[in-house]
Amino acid sequence: MFEWLENTSVAIWVGESLWAYPFMLSLHVIGLAIVVGILSMIDFKLLGGFRGIKVDSMLPLLKFAWIGFLINAVSGVFLFTSQASYFATSTVFLIKLGCIFIGAILTKVMQNQLVAAGAAGNAEGVSMKGLAVVSLLLWLVAITAGRLTAYI
Amino acid sequence: MEAFAQSIEGGVVYTWVTSIFWLWPLMETLHFIGLSLLLGGLIVIDARMAGFFKGVNIAATHKLLPWVFIGFGINLITGVLFFFGDPMRYAINWGFQVKMILVVVAGLNALWFWIRLNKPMHAWEPHGDTPAEAKVVAWISLISWTGVLLFGRLIPYVGTG
Repeated sequence: MFEWLENTSVAIWVGESLWAYPFMLSLHVIGLAIVVGILSMIDFKLLGGFRGIKVDSMLPLLKFAWIGFLINAVSGVFLFTSQASYFATSTVFLIKLGCIFIGAILTKVMQNQLVAAGAAGNAEGVSMKGLAVVSLLLWLVAITAGRLTAYI
Repeated sequence: MEAFAQSIEGGVVYTWVTSIFWLWPLMETLHFIGLSLLLGGLIVIDARMAGFFKGVNIAATHKLLPWVFIGFGINLITGVLFFFGDPMRYAINWGFQVKMILVVVAGLNALWFWIRLNKPMHAWEPHGDTPAEAKVVAWISLISWTGVLLFGRLIPYVGTG
């Protein structure tokens, strides 16, 4: 199946075009900065930082984080196709993918809880320190595993 | 630049960086974590200063600055070590050169903010719109740092001379 994917015209374009692969990589690092940057700042807030900033005032930033997520899902699929059978059997890549999958679900769960608490007028009373730590760790492992796909 | 790069090659730091096989991937991972902290903090600060996310108190966004500086510090250290570990490659790489110019642009832009806007900012409406000059500074910051990421990622792929 993955060999078939590698032989599609899209995969061949990404692999052989002079600019497609580096361009997708560049988009991928910009998306990474948006996603992990914004989510880590919200996690630091949930852990008790940034006095003077209200938790629910940071929620609109999540929309922007999801845009970053979309950029990386799309660029990631393009990058994957060009070396599909390698990535599909790479342990570090599968670890990265697992962390992103769980991280995305966790972000949605945390977002829903914060929105619900905000609607009830109790956003400041929400305690999510444990989830914030898990979120930070997931993105940390995702970045580390992602970088290691180039080496292992 | 090339003469400087040549003088590094074979030196103590060069030998150290190139002799430990896991150091390069570790530094790359740290460089990515650093850029996430740097950009994460700046996106919030600059987006608010550009007039978005007005629910966030504008002066309080500067509470995020320590993370921006930690991210910058991590990337300055790892970045210098990258250069020392492979000086001849970076010195003649135009992706690296453009990236460094953009880092300087971003730094001068931050200096502009510090000189002209840092004090007045505390008198701005905490949840209101921002002056045009602040918006310009915010956009220059966002665009230059995005450019730093873009050209940084292109370094392995663009011309080395």
